Amino acid sequence: MVVLYIGGSGSGKSGAAENCICKLAQGKSKYYIATMRSNEEDEESIKRIERHRFLRRDKGFITIEKPTSVEEAVKEMDLKEKHVLLECVSNLTANEMFFGNEIREKKETVERVLNAVKALKDNTDNLVIVTNNVFEDGNSYDSYTISYLDALGEINREISKMADEIYECVAGIEIKIK
Amino acid sequence: MKLVIGGYSQGKIEFAKEKFELAEDCIFDAALPTKEEIEKIGDRKFAIDNLNKWIRKRIKEGGRAEEEIISFVKKNPSCIIICDEIGNGIVPADPFERVYRERTGRMLIDIAKEADEVWRVICGIGQKIK
Repeated sequence: MVVLYIGGSGSGKSGAAENCICKLAQGKSKYYIATMRSNEEDEESIKRIERHRFLRRDKGFITIEKPTSVEEAVKEMDLKEKHVLLECVSNLTANEMFFGNEIREKKETVERVLNAVKALKDNTDNLVIVTNNVFEDGNSYDSYTISYLDALGEINREISKMADEIYECVAGIEIKIK
Repeated sequence: MKLVIGGYSQGKIEFAKEKFELAEDCIFDAALPTKEEIEKIGDRKFAIDNLNKWIRKRIKEGGRAEEEIISFVKKNPSCIIICDEIGNGIVPADPFERVYRERTGRMLIDIAKEADEVWRVICGIGQKIK
C-alpha cells in the first residue's frame, strides 16, 4: 500500500504520516528514510532534524539517511517486512536538483526521483510518503526555483497516481483527497 | 471556539460575519481583546481577525505567542479565530520569516485541537474540516 501526505510548513503532515505507517506496520519495526542533509554548520537544519528525531522516538523507527538516491535504502533493510516512511519528497527533489555548484535539469530530476520512488514501492510492503505544498505563496522566483517548483509539481502528480490514498494536512487535520 | 483559516483574500472575514452573525464592533483586527473590551461585547459573539499578523507582532516583540493564544481561547471558548494559512510556499530565505511561518503553522494545529469547529475558506466558500 502507498499513502501520500501533503501539507505546508507546520501543517502536521509528518506526525500524521508517522501515525499512518505505525498503523500499517501493526506494531512491527519500520524504516524511516530521512532525506534532509545534516550540515554541521547549519544550526537550523540540525535543530529541525533533532526535533523530528525527538518526535518519532519510541515509535520503533530504524532511520536510514539518504539525501539522494533513496532507492539504495532498500539494500540496508534486513527485516522481512518492509514498512517504510519516506520524508520527504520536497527535500529529496531539492537534493537531486541542486548539488554542490551543479544543477540538474528538471526532466532528469523528475525521472531520478520518480524511479527511486517506484523502486521503493516495488520493494516494500507499505510505503508512506510525505511531500510539501510549496505552490501557493504567489511570489515570483528566479528560474532555478521555478524549475524546482515545476519538477516537484510533476513529481507530486505522478506519485499521486501511484498512491492508494492521499491526505492533505491542514492545521493538523487530515483531509482525504484520494 | 471556532477557527476559520484560508489563504490571503479568500473571503474569510466575510464568511465568518455571515456564518456566525458577527457585528462590526465585535471584530478585533490582529489583536486579542482586553477584559474590558470583552465585557463591553456582553453575550454577543466576537472574533479575532488576522491572527497571523498578531503572531508576527508577538514574535517580533519576543512574546510567548503560543501560550498567550492557547490561554486566551481556553478562557474564551465561544470566540472565533480567523487566520491566514501561510505555510504553503517555498521556504523563505529570511530566517525570521521561516520562524514566523513555522510557529504560525504549529499554533494553528494547537488552536484546531481546541476548536469545536474548523472552517477552511477558499474562493469565499467555507468547508467544514472539523
